[in-house]
Amino acid sequence: MEVLEIPAGTGMPAIRLDPVAHSHRFAGESYPENTSEFYAPVLAWVERYLAGLAAEQSAEFNFEIVYFNSSTSKIFMDLFFQLEEAAQSGKAVTVNWIYDRDNEAALEYGEEFAEDLVDLPFHLVEKAS
Amino acid sequence: MMLDDLHALKTRMEDEGAIFCFSGPISHQIVIGIGEALKNNMQADRIDTSTSMKIFSIFMEQMQNMMFYSAERLCGPNGEGEFGFGIIVLGRREGEHFVLCGNRIPAAKVERLRGYLSDLVAMSPDQLKQLYRQKRKQGPEADSKGAGLGFIEMARKCSRPLEFDFKPIDADTAFFTIRGFIQ
Repeated sequence: MEVLEIPAGTGMPAIRLDPVAHSHRFAGESYPENTSEFYAPVLAWVERYLAGLAAEQSAEFNFEIVYFNSSTSKIFMDLFFQLEEAAQSGKAVTVNWIYDRDNEAALEYGEEFAEDLVDLPFHLVEKAS
Repeated sequence: MMLDDLHALKTRMEDEGAIFCFSGPISHQIVIGIGEALKNNMQADRIDTSTSMKIFSIFMEQMQNMMFYSAERLCGPNGEGEFGFGIIVLGRREGEHFVLCGNRIPAAKVERLRGYLSDLVAMSPDQLKQLYRQKRKQGPEADSKGAGLGFIEMARKCSRPLEFDFKPIDADTAFFTIRGFIQ
């Protein structure tokens, strides 16, 4: 598999999915014109990646999202469910939800995702200032 | 409209606390442009992050609603995309920020939307949260272009219940107005 890299744009987060380092990153804001079209290659990449991920290999998904709209919220939930399924099948997948102390909403969003994810390690991480 | 009417309109808007107004076809470029202007404006006004995020969120959800669902539409010059017409007013009055939006909707959709919004405004913050979580786990409804979470998101960001109104225009269309307040 190859690295999937999408540069940040207005309303579009920077995304870097790295199958070698097993560290993946989503950063910025998300309100693309067509949310499902924008995230389709990302969801497809993650699906293939998880299918080929060895059980002993840990993988980390870092989300540092300052704002996202409600259709992105749905996509993220679907993505986390995909990761949770992998975790249920014994894969060492974790999510770090990184928020800024000033951005109360970003923390609340993280908490709400965590409430809906039972088997996926979902860490709320305050950004070092 | 006569030349001096525009000044009267501007004065009237300022009296109502309007800071920003846009009326016309809404493309994604317009959403981005106004969104950036709004962010700069809030930063210059030193509005705290938490409040600006709420204002921005209500603005974004309703701009996207109008772009997708307004019954008044325009095709791009090269036949690309379709823009929905809408009007948005952002402002501040008596210590509260407001986002006021209006667009045409099909008359046939009025009762369903009125029923849905009436249910939302009667809900407590916790009920809104549970509904949001429940709907986010399910798929969207068939005629939705997004996740079907927009109005719930707006209701959750407001510091008091959303206000809304439907004004009949003709047999087929009505004018839908919605306003959110943020403390």
